Amino acid sequence: MNDFGSSKVMTAKEAVSRFVHDGNTVITGNYTESLPLSLIFEVIRQGRKGLTWYSQSGAADVEFMIASGGVEKLCTAFVHKWGGRGAGSMVERYQRAGKLQVEDYSNFTYNARLAAGAQGYSFMPVLPAIMDSDVFKIRDYMGENKFGVVRCPFTGREIPVVPAANPDVCLLHVQRADKHGNAQHWGGLGSTVHACLASKTIIVSCEELVDFDIIKSSPHHTIVPGFRVSAVIEEPYGCHPSELPGYRNPDTVMLRVIEGAFSSEEGLRSMFDEWIYGLPDRASYIKHYIDVFGVETLHRFQAKSYYSAPANYGVAFESGWDTYGKSIHLGVDMAGLEQLIVEKGDLVDVK
Amino acid sequence: MLSKQITKEELLIVTAARQIKNGDVVVLGIGMPILAGAVAKNTHAPEAVLLMESGIVDFEPRTLPTNVADATATRGYGYAIDLFSVFTTIAYAGYLDKAFLGVGQIDKYGNINTSFLGIPPEAQRVTAAGGAPEFYAYAKKTILTMKGRGFVEKLPYMTSPGYLGGGDERDKSGRYTPGSGPDILITPKGIFKFDPQTKEMYLDALFPGVNLDEVRADIPWELKVADPLGSFPVPKDEEIVFLRQLSPISPFKNATARKLAMEHIKRQMEEKAAAR
Repeated sequence: MNDFGSSKVMTAKEAVSRFVHDGNTVITGNYTESLPLSLIFEVIRQGRKGLTWYSQSGAADVEFMIASGGVEKLCTAFVHKWGGRGAGSMVERYQRAGKLQVEDYSNFTYNARLAAGAQGYSFMPVLPAIMDSDVFKIRDYMGENKFGVVRCPFTGREIPVVPAANPDVCLLHVQRADKHGNAQHWGGLGSTVHACLASKTIIVSCEELVDFDIIKSSPHHTIVPGFRVSAVIEEPYGCHPSELPGYRNPDTVMLRVIEGAFSSEEGLRSMFDEWIYGLPDRASYIKHYIDVFGVETLHRFQAKSYYSAPANYGVAFESGWDTYGKSIHLGVDMAGLEQLIVEKGDLVDVK
Repeated sequence: MLSKQITKEELLIVTAARQIKNGDVVVLGIGMPILAGAVAKNTHAPEAVLLMESGIVDFEPRTLPTNVADATATRGYGYAIDLFSVFTTIAYAGYLDKAFLGVGQIDKYGNINTSFLGIPPEAQRVTAAGGAPEFYAYAKKTILTMKGRGFVEKLPYMTSPGYLGGGDERDKSGRYTPGSGPDILITPKGIFKFDPQTKEMYLDALFPGVNLDEVRADIPWELKVADPLGSFPVPKDEEIVFLRQLSPISPFKNATARKLAMEHIKRQMEEKAAAR
């Protein structure tokens, strides 16, 4: 067993109670894959209210959050029809009933707001065709601040811009992380990196907590550096039923349960009671899944391994000394160096 | 050569696949575009570069993904980037040859609505913008597909601009890749194209079993029709065999496929119960 005795390593319950507060702006860090559903269920269990939520793709994350009653405003670029064409999604139902304010961007302009936020700019230029679209013209809670228009000082052309977004908290689920919070994720990342780096606080749940040795041999997979992360939770199946490369495909059995529940209010209440409020954490969620559907159903969606070829980060010399103990630059050993120092060095008397 | 019986769904997919040329860089969305891309890549366009907007570039569809970042698409692919880079370094920079877009509603100049069937917030939603406005603006050509009968005189909400008011309005605005816009619209009834000068949509070909009156019935303006009418592509066995190997549910309409899958689950449950 490894010793991960760091203050950043905690449970989902602890992380949410410490870092997610009523009235916060919270973003689903992952794009359409690896949804941080363990963290989202915990936010719902702890009953957070008055949230502004950012979710790019109308996946299950935002449906659960809206249905929990904790969200007042939503910024999004796509809304999936979870309840089917007639019933519509939670987003649609709450918006039409006047219970939710929704600002619609396109995928690119949504991402551009986060890119500005991540890079420290107050706004970001976006591509000009959006000015002809009703995405530009029709505005909800952002009002005049949804888009702006500037003039390029070099070409004189009009350029639409979006304001930076800097959410208070980002929820992220990844394949692996270390105790410092160095988080590694691979697959179709969409705007995940910008979502994380734009946020003030980042909570990472991971399938596996690993040593820094693993991280440092594969730095190209690190999407968020540990110094930006506030909490790390080792949470196997933390994104179930959504998929994660190397771990599992979407669990279509569970997705069907969710889809069915979202088509009616009663279905939804019993789903929340059974799968969110009735279970204290992710381990008990998975245990409950196995009780209901059987372990063989869970394993049906498990990934078969397909490893990335190792990238060779090796170098010729690991210090200023060669394998024979001679200085690469001076051609002498340590005794020879000390002699050279006496002969050629600018000696100073500090005694 | 075609020796097999084929379905309408398969004809639509192959029609879409034939729009991809060898070497094209193509962005695909979930559903029919993925199937079309896969058929093209495995038959006439082996050097096509298929990508999805989540940053999965140069991938080979091996089954039908459920979303644009689906893990089934990331098992081996050429170039891992992010969404922002797809839109800037590939689309806006001029390297995206073709985009496929699904249509909710469309007007005669190929302007598209995928957002609301009225004025938000009270209006019913379709879905939303997603990647459509920018892919439609900057791909050199776009292939549109529409399942429903969403032809309208005036869109209640314009999500993604097509040829705007027609003529050279799109190119003159300077906001789009020059010469870009919708190339073709494929619906279950036929193939529509756009007049090179006026940019008005016209009927180019009818699918088998459909007559002109049935098409006109869906369209609230006086539809122009090619004279003579063009023809639809006849699928080849290799396309159909590949398609069925890739996705055994692809020959069926969505509702039929769902029903068949439910029947399969029911049979499995009954077998399980009998075995106990």
